[in-house]
Amino acid sequence: MNNQDFIRQSDGLDSKSRYSKSIWQTIHTDPPLLLGISLLCGFGLFVLFSASGGDVPVVRRQALTMVVGLVVMFIVAQFNVHFFRQWAPTLYAAGIGLLGLVLVIGVEANGAKSWLDLPGLPSFQPSELMKFVVPMLMAWYLASRPLPPRFKHLFWSAVMILVPAALIIIQNDTGTAIMVIMSGIFVVLLAGIRWRIVIAGFIALLLASPAWFIFLAQEHQKNRILTFFNPYRDPTGAGYNIIQSQIAIGSGGLYGKGWGQGAQSHLDFIPESNTDFILAVLAEEFGLFGVLLLISMYLFVLARGCYIAYAANDMFSRLLAGSITLTFFFYVFVNMAMVSGLLPVIGLPLPLISRGGTSVVTLFIGFGLLMSIQTHGHGRAI
Amino acid sequence: MTGKWQLKDHEAERALFSRRLMVAGVFVLLLFTALIIKLVNLQVSQYEYFSARSDGNRLHSQFVPPARGLIFDNRGQLLADNQPIFNLTVVREQVGDLEETLDYLDTLIDLSDDEREQFSNRLRRNRVPFTSVPLRYVLSEADKAKIAVNSFKLPGIAIEPQFVRQYPLADLAAHSVGYVSEINRAELDSFDDEERENYGGTNHIGKTGIERTYEDLLHGTVGYEIVEKNNRGQVMRRLDRTDPIAGKNISLYLDSQLQIVAEEALGDFRGAVVAIDPNTGGILAMVSKPGFDPNLFVTGISNKNYSVLVTDEINTPLFDRSTNPYPPGSTIKPFLGLGGLHHGLVDYDFTIEDPGYFRLPGVRYRWGDYTLRTAIGGGHGHTNLQKAIYQSCDTFFYDLGNRMGIDTMHSFMAQFGFGENFAVDINYARTGVLPSRDWKRATRGEPWYPGDTINSSIGQGFMWATPLQLATAVSIIANKGKVVQPRMLKAIDGVPYQPEIQDPVADVVVNDPDYWRYIEESMSMVVHRAFNDVFREYGTAYEAIAMADREMPYRMAGKSGSAQVVGISQEILQSGDIQVSDPNKDHALFIAYAPAENPNIKPQIAIAVFVENGEHGSSVAGPIAKRVTDAYLLDILQIDFAAMEFGNDELISLVNE
Repeated sequence: MNNQDFIRQSDGLDSKSRYSKSIWQTIHTDPPLLLGISLLCGFGLFVLFSASGGDVPVVRRQALTMVVGLVVMFIVAQFNVHFFRQWAPTLYAAGIGLLGLVLVIGVEANGAKSWLDLPGLPSFQPSELMKFVVPMLMAWYLASRPLPPRFKHLFWSAVMILVPAALIIIQNDTGTAIMVIMSGIFVVLLAGIRWRIVIAGFIALLLASPAWFIFLAQEHQKNRILTFFNPYRDPTGAGYNIIQSQIAIGSGGLYGKGWGQGAQSHLDFIPESNTDFILAVLAEEFGLFGVLLLISMYLFVLARGCYIAYAANDMFSRLLAGSITLTFFFYVFVNMAMVSGLLPVIGLPLPLISRGGTSVVTLFIGFGLLMSIQTHGHGRAI
Repeated sequence: MTGKWQLKDHEAERALFSRRLMVAGVFVLLLFTALIIKLVNLQVSQYEYFSARSDGNRLHSQFVPPARGLIFDNRGQLLADNQPIFNLTVVREQVGDLEETLDYLDTLIDLSDDEREQFSNRLRRNRVPFTSVPLRYVLSEADKAKIAVNSFKLPGIAIEPQFVRQYPLADLAAHSVGYVSEINRAELDSFDDEERENYGGTNHIGKTGIERTYEDLLHGTVGYEIVEKNNRGQVMRRLDRTDPIAGKNISLYLDSQLQIVAEEALGDFRGAVVAIDPNTGGILAMVSKPGFDPNLFVTGISNKNYSVLVTDEINTPLFDRSTNPYPPGSTIKPFLGLGGLHHGLVDYDFTIEDPGYFRLPGVRYRWGDYTLRTAIGGGHGHTNLQKAIYQSCDTFFYDLGNRMGIDTMHSFMAQFGFGENFAVDINYARTGVLPSRDWKRATRGEPWYPGDTINSSIGQGFMWATPLQLATAVSIIANKGKVVQPRMLKAIDGVPYQPEIQDPVADVVVNDPDYWRYIEESMSMVVHRAFNDVFREYGTAYEAIAMADREMPYRMAGKSGSAQVVGISQEILQSGDIQVSDPNKDHALFIAYAPAENPNIKPQIAIAVFVENGEHGSSVAGPIAKRVTDAYLLDILQIDFAAMEFGNDELISLVNE
């Protein structure tokens, strides 16, 4: 195909990169993406060391998690992305089955009954799997149909997204459900859904939100929304986290107080300083420049993800890569906006920086898929 | 686009995807830009604000309360001390379920409802978050152990040491020394900013007596400590400290030994004793009985204990009888007599024939002689001023007062502090009433009637004076007119204290200084046998004082008084048909100074004794005064009167015979 030729040419402008690429391509690794991820992981460990108050075991465990993640990413990247396309419906069906199983024999942790403890396997959250299985299925479904998608296809897409989302909400894990929904919506948006439908949907959402707030929202959700608009309505209760985190960020100034010098975090004023609110620690100790450095690292990874999506040579790969990249952005933005007070508090970690277990592995599976797309797709006919 | 069987147009789809990806990229950049704007706003525009907030979070300036100054008596005996106690305190923010915790504490150390109520009152007061609020003052050793063992179940509950006031004399000097207690809302509101700052670390404030009068001296200056605290309020580091300046230790003229004697001398009576050193004005003893234990107030008096104190309408232990006014009765006679001499209304020879009553011209009413209530009928007969004083002849003074008139009486008596508070540092003392035409018009809206003057002549009617005023007035006679205003504070941190008196009171000057000696002799005859050829009767208090103690080594000048509480006609009283109930019995008074008539030594003590419903000034109040002067002159000062050459000066009254 013509575009394939074009890509080959543009990629192979100098012989040196062609030579190096071939080595990386053999081991199915995308060097720029790996570089961006490694930088983020390193910075994350560095910040976590300070945020945890110099707790070496915590940092060591996080480093280990990252190594496991890199290994998982490497393994996933070895599979040709078409393997995932072929298996997408099966994976989806299996995922729905596991979600159903969780409802029956799931284990509760942190208020969400989302863990599955099967004999012979490490305990895991099926809902995490759905974060990439749903976009995979959506990409499989829409890529084989004419784009922009018809209304009928949109309807079935909505069903495909909402069934697992509903099952996850029943588990009382709204955060993950939102991520699953968003990953599916990103596929639909990238597939070229008409703008008027997008705008109509957006307006409908806006109109429905007051009704949701009044009739459906739970007390803690209402509180979060109200606190978002005025943190000082309950400064020692609901507003405490956001107030303290803003104080930490603001008092960091341009250059920050220095590594390990953040008074807000070291005197425990920042809640969840190792996890959801780690950005506040970073901003306090490294200042605006530290945050800008972090944002540029994220931008680098995002740009590479977009490039992979752009350069992929089939629609399944494009949609999947685009959705994974945008979901990653969504993670990053929601967390940063929440910690700095642009959005209400939603319990989402800052990817690759916050301390955390299974969601890190999920992220690396996503990166593995991106690498698979980048290193397997080219040079093969569809 | 229209046909169901339309083939996929890969190029168009790819272009569509690329456009969408570009839109997404633009959105990504826009959202990051919004985020960066927000961060710039927080970290650059509002940097100063948040930086200050961050410091405000972690840096706490906490007050370090100063140690309260101690109060000593004039010989270094402690009247108010600071004792360490252990308090059970609660930091509300660290306690999860308060009710549950209190219920659990109840199973350990039995919290009373009273304690819980007081605690919730303290919690309700405006307070700084994360500060500890006392739940119980003074933990016993056993309770301390129970709390300590279970402390892991009691987050936010702590045992904190604190210094609190302790009054070793307990109820013996409760009114004069006063007490400290928890600062209340009204006091906080009355503070200016500087004071509020200075009391930042202080729980207690002087409420009454010396503790209140010299609050400024005793309190000291608050210190500060800058500490770094974590979010649980735990102090992580001390960064800076300004030490508090302890309150001043003060010494009073009060002599606790004399105070104890005076208290004991009152026996089971309600009443007051005020003793003054006429040379310095220093108050040697100031007793109001019954007292109360001021220690109860320091750590928050329980409602039960407090209601016991306030509901006792007869004993009214909280009421300070030494600084509240009563009718002075006959104790004003020496002053009025001196006024009569000074104004030429009587001289040493002037006599009346006392029929036992006095009548104003044209008025049918007869003012009876109260001193003759229990005596045989008829009057004192042939009576001069001296006899009128030592026998307390009312009729003589009715006549004298009538001729003197209320205006002269008022201006002369005012010089002795009647109707005024001469005390330097007892500003809470009442002024009583020295009636005048203006006073009556202002308070009663009535003109002054001649009969009012008659009643005033024997210290009844509108005339009211406090025991403190009586002691002050008699000390002026002891000083022969020299006024030394009464005072409590003797020294600050061991340095003798000379108060700056704003409007010093002028000395009393009479036309002939011999008048002082005449009055002294007259008052001496109240206590001792009268040296008089013409009148051979005894003084009113001779039997109770000088005759009861024939070994009495010094002479005492005194005057008894009985003040009517309710008007009961003499016929009824004498009929013996009725029993006067205790609270309606007359008040007994006695004023004195000693040693009198001694050329070797000036008077050392002036005293006023007030016995509520004591009935007889001479026989009830007199011996109390005698016991106090004995204790002071013989036991405390240990004056060896025997070694003194008693100059047998001729008496003025004899010289002039």
